[in-house]
Amino acid sequence: MFEALAWVAFLEASVRLGVPLALAALGETITERSGVINIGLEGSIIAGALGGALGALATGSAGTGILLGGVAGMAVAGVFAALAIGLGTDQIITGTAVTLGGLGVTGAVYQARFGVTGTALSLPTLDRWSVPVLSDIPMLGSPLFDQPPTTYLVYALGPILWYWLFRTSWGLELRAAGEAPDAARAAGVRVLKVRAVAALFGGLLAGVAGAHLALAHTGTFAENMSAGRGFIAIAVVVLGRWHPGWVVVAAMFFGAASALQFLLQAFGLDVPYQLFLALPYVLTLAALAGWVGRATAPAALALPWPRRR
Amino acid sequence: MPACARLVGVEKWFGSVRALAGADLTLEAGRIHGVLGENGAGKSTLLGILGGLIAPDSGTIEIEGAAVRLGSPGDAWTRGVGLVHQHFALVPTFTVLENLSLGRRGGSRVGRLDLRRVRERVQALSERTGLSVTLDAPVSSLGVGERQRVEILKALLRDPKILVLDEPTAVLAPSEVERLFDLLRDLASSGTSVALVAHKLDEVLAVAQDFTVLREGRTVLKGSRAEVDAVSLTRAMIGGDEGAARPGITRKVVQPVRTSGDAVPSEVVASLVDVSTRDEAGGLFLRGVGLEVRRGELVGIAGVGGNGQRELALILAGRRRPDAGVAHLPDEVAFIPQDRIGQGLIADFSLVENAALTLQRSSAFRTGPILRWGAIRSAARDLIREYDVRASGASVPARSLSGGNQQRLVVARELRVARDLLVAENPTRGLDVMSAAFVHASIRARVLEGDAATRPGMVLISTDLDEILALATRILVISRGRLSPVAPDLHTREGVGTLMVGGSSA
Repeated sequence: MFEALAWVAFLEASVRLGVPLALAALGETITERSGVINIGLEGSIIAGALGGALGALATGSAGTGILLGGVAGMAVAGVFAALAIGLGTDQIITGTAVTLGGLGVTGAVYQARFGVTGTALSLPTLDRWSVPVLSDIPMLGSPLFDQPPTTYLVYALGPILWYWLFRTSWGLELRAAGEAPDAARAAGVRVLKVRAVAALFGGLLAGVAGAHLALAHTGTFAENMSAGRGFIAIAVVVLGRWHPGWVVVAAMFFGAASALQFLLQAFGLDVPYQLFLALPYVLTLAALAGWVGRATAPAALALPWPRRR
Repeated sequence: MPACARLVGVEKWFGSVRALAGADLTLEAGRIHGVLGENGAGKSTLLGILGGLIAPDSGTIEIEGAAVRLGSPGDAWTRGVGLVHQHFALVPTFTVLENLSLGRRGGSRVGRLDLRRVRERVQALSERTGLSVTLDAPVSSLGVGERQRVEILKALLRDPKILVLDEPTAVLAPSEVERLFDLLRDLASSGTSVALVAHKLDEVLAVAQDFTVLREGRTVLKGSRAEVDAVSLTRAMIGGDEGAARPGITRKVVQPVRTSGDAVPSEVVASLVDVSTRDEAGGLFLRGVGLEVRRGELVGIAGVGGNGQRELALILAGRRRPDAGVAHLPDEVAFIPQDRIGQGLIADFSLVENAALTLQRSSAFRTGPILRWGAIRSAARDLIREYDVRASGASVPARSLSGGNQQRLVVARELRVARDLLVAENPTRGLDVMSAAFVHASIRARVLEGDAATRPGMVLISTDLDEILALATRILVISRGRLSPVAPDLHTREGVGTLMVGGSSA
């Protein structure tokens, strides 16, 4: 009985920790498929968390908070897009600057608004929705189908984005922009516009992921609460081979790696918990170091376009 | 006859290079128009402007009587201009069908990709035109010929009023060329205006009704089939005799291979037997090339760029292995590459260090693995003085020199080490007149003059016909990866030029 409870808790934690990663990684998948790597994802997540927190506080509605978090994430991605796509600056440098800037600005805004005393904010939280029938499945039901609505957004976006990427002419144009922008342009695709929209969409989902952290996951905001999730999400995209379905699976896998500590503690294993905290990051390195096998990254990823003469 | 498209006074600069200097082109409905010119004459730029790929700096474009601005390929498509690219504009990782669907908003309003409908249209078009392609194969797995067919189908799928083809025949087999020309004639007879670029004069003469010749970015000849012939077109392309008067390049009477005076031919220093290379897409670049180079002779390889010169140079220099065939080369080959910075010199190394790069092969400049910097430094100073390399000292970095002085250093160094074989690829490209003349004189002094037993053999690969004519003792033309010898009595601009553009040597 105890083991069953621990198992359910482990699954629930895996999903809970996996959902923000999945949201950010799904957005980044679309961005990267268009040929743009947005290392500034972390900045969009932390902005989404703060935007969500402020929005929820102001309106008293967690749902509105999630929307405002998405807008905040998109605004940060807009800064990235204006520089990296509009001006053709180096995407890695620009993204890093956006991440550091995002962390700094959100910290400053938070302190200006709530002071430095650090009494934890108490925010309205997103209610869980229990899916009829499915949530009654033994063992799996409550961890997977008694969750905040953002979780169901992930379940829905996986197949929707897959269809959009591979079965619509918009998806085809977006992938062409990421594989061979010159060829795409010759075929009449407006490469820069496609890339800008893709980057904004990535920022939107990263913002929602941040708002989820504040409003569904913890119920509070803290400086640096994104805790490197933007970077892990980029690794998740690689592990999921730039495919929306696999990206969701990979995100849940990373969630499970983070949740492992709860399971193992429940079993009373005497291993320092810091080791488990490090596990997702070790997996990140492993994924990037070639677990993924032959690279299938979009051919024009991270290359500014049009090339300067 | 109403003009379907008219480009007037078009100019285009790329950085400091003027690609077009007031070019005109008038296309008429229902006719095939051949656009001719040597490499770099501006043909691709002009057609790229009509296709919306390149924005002109000045000049006007009219399509069906209305002045238009073509800001993007999408604009050009909307105006009915379909461009078939010379460098394929295909997404390698996509299938043929996906490539053909790209940019076509068929199907429903939400943008659902109706691949079945595109497939049906393509199949119908394939049957009608005889252009067969494998729809479900990724483009990266196709040969160049099939990629070309995909490009043509892509353009035809949009029912263009003006079809522009940039070098469509270069990668097609002769039978495919015939079929393509039949197709173009069909299109023209149904009212489409066709513009066609091809290097091979006889091909264009066979299919086109109107002609425009570009030289150095200007339209130098316009005419219909009745008004032009192979001779007048060739002369317009290569500039007739007027080009020979270019300063800095001394014409000399070209003699057949002359060895040390008696009839015994000198020793063979390098030979290629049936050498072929493949490019990444699997197409052959060099096709069964055979070549013998003897001591004291200077073999000139003429040809328009992109016909396998780069591969031939790399193989002769021992920097690339042939994929098939055998290259017999001496132990050390002196090589004057086309790119001074990058292949010839290391920009951040000093002149002495750059000289050491090849001097160190000789035992005079090292003791075992230890370089004798003193000897290298004094040799480098000698070279700098002898070849008049203008530099503020021997220890300044190579990047601080002008292009001409960089090339003098490369030439000085390579001539110094050339014992058996010297290979040069466009050794004077981009040089000022004085430097070019100096390089020519240095080469001539080392390879063609003095004691025959101590001279190297040399292969000069150049797209500059005047350079070949001025230096070579024997000339071959490279075309589509094949070498063909030029008879000594054809060692003239017209003779070699006609062969270069694919005419017959008879």
